[in-house]
Amino acid sequence: MILLCGIPTETPIALVREALESNGTRYVVLNQRKYASMKMSLEIRAGKPSGKLQLNGDSYSVDDFTGVFTRLMDYHHLPELQNAPADSPDLKFCCNLFDTLTRWAEISPARVVNRVAPMGSNFSKPFQAQLIKRYGFEVPETLITNDPELVRAFRARYGRVIYKSISGVRSIVQTLTDDDMTRIDNIRWCPTQFQAFVEGTNVRVHTIGDKVFATAINTEATDYRYAKRQSGDHAELREVELVDDLAEMCVNLAAGLGLAFAGIDLKITPENDVYCFEVNPSPAFSYYESQTGQPISRAVAEYLSGQ
Amino acid sequence: MWLMICSAQDTSALWAYQGLLARGLHPLELVTAEMLTLNAKWEHTVGVNGANFNVTLADGRVIDNRLVSGVVNRLTHVPLDHLAGAPDFEYAQQEYSALFMSWLKALPSPIFNGVQSHGLSGAWRHVSEWVWMAAQAGLPTPSYQQSSHDGIDESQQLRRIVPAGTPTTMVITLGDRVFGPNMPAQIGNGCKELARISQTPLLGIELTVGQAHVPWSFAGATPMPDLRLGGEPLLDELARRLYVNRRRSN
Repeated sequence: MILLCGIPTETPIALVREALESNGTRYVVLNQRKYASMKMSLEIRAGKPSGKLQLNGDSYSVDDFTGVFTRLMDYHHLPELQNAPADSPDLKFCCNLFDTLTRWAEISPARVVNRVAPMGSNFSKPFQAQLIKRYGFEVPETLITNDPELVRAFRARYGRVIYKSISGVRSIVQTLTDDDMTRIDNIRWCPTQFQAFVEGTNVRVHTIGDKVFATAINTEATDYRYAKRQSGDHAELREVELVDDLAEMCVNLAAGLGLAFAGIDLKITPENDVYCFEVNPSPAFSYYESQTGQPISRAVAEYLSGQ
Repeated sequence: MWLMICSAQDTSALWAYQGLLARGLHPLELVTAEMLTLNAKWEHTVGVNGANFNVTLADGRVIDNRLVSGVVNRLTHVPLDHLAGAPDFEYAQQEYSALFMSWLKALPSPIFNGVQSHGLSGAWRHVSEWVWMAAQAGLPTPSYQQSSHDGIDESQQLRRIVPAGTPTTMVITLGDRVFGPNMPAQIGNGCKELARISQTPLLGIELTVGQAHVPWSFAGATPMPDLRLGGEPLLDELARRLYVNRRRSN
């Protein structure tokens, strides 16, 4: 049986649920917003985890779950808890409930998409870039500094330069402009990440187990996720086929990072050099599936089912 | 050069720093977390030439990864007290943490302990994962329970595997050596195996002792043990392992 954790109306969860329905796989939905009706216990004895999960009025042994798809949101942001005081019993209960669930998923023998620990590499882009390089991908020339002079020299050397956050927050990629340079001294307060712009075609690759789905994105925007805002037009997405060795590199990269499911952001230059910018451990694949019809959710459902 | 990276309040690290100096590890630079955020000039690059960094500290010292021969790393957090109250404080905290993850990754081996995706100086694992892992390593482990109805607030109180007041002892692994009281070979081997599978070469392992039927049992682990518990033999071994790359020193 498959356990789906999160908000059932969120599109990726809804798509995986639909795919599980289609292939006749048994599943149960853990709707975070219904936390008040849940209970969970975990026991580890001689290295073997066991436990019970009560939800929707039923009780399950955690051993029943052979696959877990989790897109849990921070429970502090659940509508039911938004105005809860810090010492609210509901907050404390949710903390213990979702912690117990997460702790079990981290060590469970089930197929878990994805475990929390390996997702941590995405917290620091240059940290992750150092891992990415080991798998044969190019990474863009990157400078992180709080010294404006070094930024001027970097820009003089590479011409078009972009900047973005080092961590995962406020991660909108922007081109560094002359106007930005007038306030470059502000970086003295906090080191900032700059990268040489790479010309080429953006390709998002979703890997699930050893299956690969590649989507090319055509846009004039610096950050295709914000194409309408940055260029005035929506990005155009189309399915593409990767050459075998590149597909294998993507599978190896995701596996090496410990991610059963990953969204890998590539740029392929006119010279066919392959740059990798980031590996997203919780990809919002529904955007790509809805634009191209690629059966990503079906592949996730099959992976969870052990197929 | 060698680096001792730690918080200014880490008395255990400061003790080790003095001990390593006394063993001839020179130059050994003490770099505190506070020095890295207060008026330090950062240059960290990643690209075709790999990952490099050059940090100029407020006192004029320059830390260049290409000149580093080995590292004792005990960073746990990024102190940004000087930015407290700034409108973008939380953002700055995230950014500095991400920067620290990356530059620590660029440090050369040997490093005790290296950064992992879940901790600046080795992975910070939940006690449930440690007890699960300790069993895989062959250590006797007590049964562990956790539930949604526990009264514990883990942001305030750490979970413990053994009841409060249970007598325990701490041993420290460093690679294939174990420092601590005499123990059965099976326990020593289990400790070394736990350090190996957790990818934490310098690991503190808490063990219960003296119970009638299970004389030794796993009680907890930390990548940030009090190094003083390993005493002079631990420092001898640490110095020996750090000295391996002495030729890179300037």
